[in-house]
Amino acid sequence: MRMAVLRVLWAVLVWLALAAPLAAQPVRTERVEAELHSSRAAVAPGERFTIVLRQNIREHWHTYWRNPGDSGEPTDLTWRAPQGWEVGPIQWPTPEAIPFAMLVNYGYSNEVLFPIEVTAPANARTGQSVTLTADAYWLVCSDVCVPEDAVLTLTLPVAAQGRDDQTWGPRIAAAVADLPRPQPGVEARITAGAPALLSVALPNAGDIRNARFFPFDRDAMEAAAAQRPRIGASGVSFSLTPGVSDNLGEAPLEGVVVYESREGAGWARRGVEIAAQPGEPIAGVSDRPAPFSGDYPLAALEQAAGGVEYARGASLDAASFFVAIALAFLGGLILNIMPCVLPVLSVKALSLAGGAEAGQAPRHGALYFAGVMATFLMLAMALIALRSAGEAVGWGFQLQASWVTAALALLFFAIGLNLLGVFNIGGGVQSAGGGLTARGGDAGAFFTGALAVVAATPCTAPFMATAIGVAITQSALTTLLIFAALALGFALPLTVLHFAPGLQRLIPKPGLWMERAKNVLAFPMFGAAIWLVWVLAEQTGPTGVLALLSIAAALAFALWVGRWGRAWLVAGLVVFVLTAAFSWRPLLGIESATLTSEPWSPERVAELRGEGRPVFVNFTAAWCVTCKVNEAAAFTPRVAQAFERANVAYLEADWTNRDDTIAAALAEHGRAGVPLYLYYSSQSEPVILPQVLNEALILETVRGEAP
Amino acid sequence: MMMDKYRRPMLMLALAGLALVLVVVGAVTLFGAPAVASVQTGAQAPAFSIGDANGQTRTLEEFRGRTVVLEWTNHGCPYVRKHYDSGNMQALQREATADGIVWLQVISSAPGEQGHLDGQGALARVRTDNAAPTATLLDPTGVMGRAYGARNTPHMFIVSADGRVVYQGAIDDRPSARPASLEGAHNYVRAALADIEAGRAVQVAETTPYGCSVKYAD
Repeated sequence: MRMAVLRVLWAVLVWLALAAPLAAQPVRTERVEAELHSSRAAVAPGERFTIVLRQNIREHWHTYWRNPGDSGEPTDLTWRAPQGWEVGPIQWPTPEAIPFAMLVNYGYSNEVLFPIEVTAPANARTGQSVTLTADAYWLVCSDVCVPEDAVLTLTLPVAAQGRDDQTWGPRIAAAVADLPRPQPGVEARITAGAPALLSVALPNAGDIRNARFFPFDRDAMEAAAAQRPRIGASGVSFSLTPGVSDNLGEAPLEGVVVYESREGAGWARRGVEIAAQPGEPIAGVSDRPAPFSGDYPLAALEQAAGGVEYARGASLDAASFFVAIALAFLGGLILNIMPCVLPVLSVKALSLAGGAEAGQAPRHGALYFAGVMATFLMLAMALIALRSAGEAVGWGFQLQASWVTAALALLFFAIGLNLLGVFNIGGGVQSAGGGLTARGGDAGAFFTGALAVVAATPCTAPFMATAIGVAITQSALTTLLIFAALALGFALPLTVLHFAPGLQRLIPKPGLWMERAKNVLAFPMFGAAIWLVWVLAEQTGPTGVLALLSIAAALAFALWVGRWGRAWLVAGLVVFVLTAAFSWRPLLGIESATLTSEPWSPERVAELRGEGRPVFVNFTAAWCVTCKVNEAAAFTPRVAQAFERANVAYLEADWTNRDDTIAAALAEHGRAGVPLYLYYSSQSEPVILPQVLNEALILETVRGEAP
Repeated sequence: MMMDKYRRPMLMLALAGLALVLVVVGAVTLFGAPAVASVQTGAQAPAFSIGDANGQTRTLEEFRGRTVVLEWTNHGCPYVRKHYDSGNMQALQREATADGIVWLQVISSAPGEQGHLDGQGALARVRTDNAAPTATLLDPTGVMGRAYGARNTPHMFIVSADGRVVYQGAIDDRPSARPASLEGAHNYVRAALADIEAGRAVQVAETTPYGCSVKYAD
């Protein structure tokens, strides 16, 4: 009986000893579990198949890609294989960028499969097993690094007929399919500069996010520099900071472009191997910033570089969340005294002077609060919508659209005029609370809140940038909560004033002083308007400023004459609408952006015509009103496209300052001044276009040239 | 018609706002990015005035006229261990100091981080490793490390007698923590010091450093 038990035990032990090498034993170090697996359960002689090194890495720890980035070291395998067995190099899966303090490393986390190709010798003996042994070495890091090594083995039966491993065959096939590879049609160029520009023709660029380039060569570029990826219709581009080699744009650059692409309902990480040749950038790869998701580890790095407020992309822990909320609240409080907001709020506060509104004050306070909260939340939702549409947004993003800048400038100008008593809304006489927000009305209280928020948008208070920077990289709910905190801080002082008659009584009785205070407050508003005009000048150039100031003058006219009665008001509004209808175009800032010019010279014209290119010359000057009107009306995006299609060179002869060459050219065409529009087609004589230009005319002229 | 579509008028403003926020938030830079200056090779080396392990204040100025080697170190880092456990770093320190060169170890690990040592600890570590630096500088706030743009341990800098950075980067051409990798390695620092000794320009003046990250204070 005892003997029988022993025999069974012995048999079990022998079986275990024999079976053990067949089932790959994972080697567990303190931080990594590593093992080898084969796609084939049995291998035929001469067969080529794939095995994998699987690493299961402890949470928060990483191993490294072939180029480890700023620190670290790639996993290394030294093989001991029987005679005739060939084991290939590690094939590297798509890496992740891992930021640490000021460094960026390239590597892997959690579970990773490294495919390796193995070729069995043709004379491998069937019916036997083969054992492949690897001395593995890897560096595994979190905040500190630990080198680890292990001996890994894989034993496989050799059979006349190979067969797939049911578990690992499909997994390994998937891992191989996901490897970054060169793709047909994906062309890339590297163009010298600081930063250098890497342009990659990627067919689905419109649908990608979190794009980054990983070079094979560690010395090629700075791993931790922002790459400011941009996308366009035909691909993606990256700004690269040269590394120690300092030869970006002079030598071919190899590496992997990593991105997430929209696949079905979710996002899938993809890598494409590229070999960029030095040369001119590929066109259509940098129309707009490429989007980042909130959980992208380098979102903060990229956003700091992109001029958007700084934010850390990782999801917030509770403490950071409350800090962000607190900062938002504090920022909102301080926003009350920013120059673009204070005048609007002061007027509202003054309306409570001496307890004048005592009866209705609490209700108005609540409505004011609701107005602020609603407007902030609407802003937050607009921000979330834009973000999900892939726009890079931050506080002040509204001002990146020139028409918004212009509208805000007009609003501030109008508020200023109102404070000076040029006009009143609601038909009231010169009363303390009178203004854009009808005095005493419930709607008035609500819209004071809304108006104050709109007026606040160009201003940034301390603490606010940080909070919003956090908000824009977080989930929609967090974004809304942070904006709600901002709104709470912003609305609090005035709301409290409404509910505290004691405080209201501290404001002196209404009188002349109040009117004067209002008048003085008009000037910070004008100051804010001036600043916005300056912003607009940067966005649209002088034509936009001209348009805005014309509209502002018309607005002032309408507001002024409106005081004389209804008929005058209608007349004023007609003037305003007509002015706006004729001059709004440059405020969109598109016309001026699409047509690129080069300076005119007779030599340049001759040279271009020598190349067989048609040439359009615009003789213009900043002080020439006709010229500016023509440019605004006729040089549309369609004209720019037509020029591009027909390969027309657009030259500008700027006569703003005295220039004898230009004067001579004008005289040659029988003109004493600008504008003059010349079109050189393939014929020898240039066509002179009319002095009053329109889009259709140019298109018609150029069409004769169409290829 | 020559408007630049991509000009960011908001950029300056946003940066100004950001700077203001960073100043105000000050020490509580919960979300702040640590700024790192990197030094151009050939440019004037950033001045420093910092305590060493003996409590003495050391400055770059006091070594003017002598070649200075700066070695960022962290005794817990496997890359540093490779060079100390093999005796490689100590040998280089002895060669250099024997030639009148100043060798300064710099510890930029923040308190609580790997490699952080106080004065006593740093002196003990020098004894344990049988190291031979001129001094060990303690930079727990990371001010000096950031001024030099020190990224790794070991990260090596050589400052010439006239105060310029004439070498920065790796100690050798084997970016590995494996002791076996030392065999046949080309030591960039030794080569650069030989160039300086011979009155030549340093042949390889900049390489990509390798090693652990410097464990700066957040």
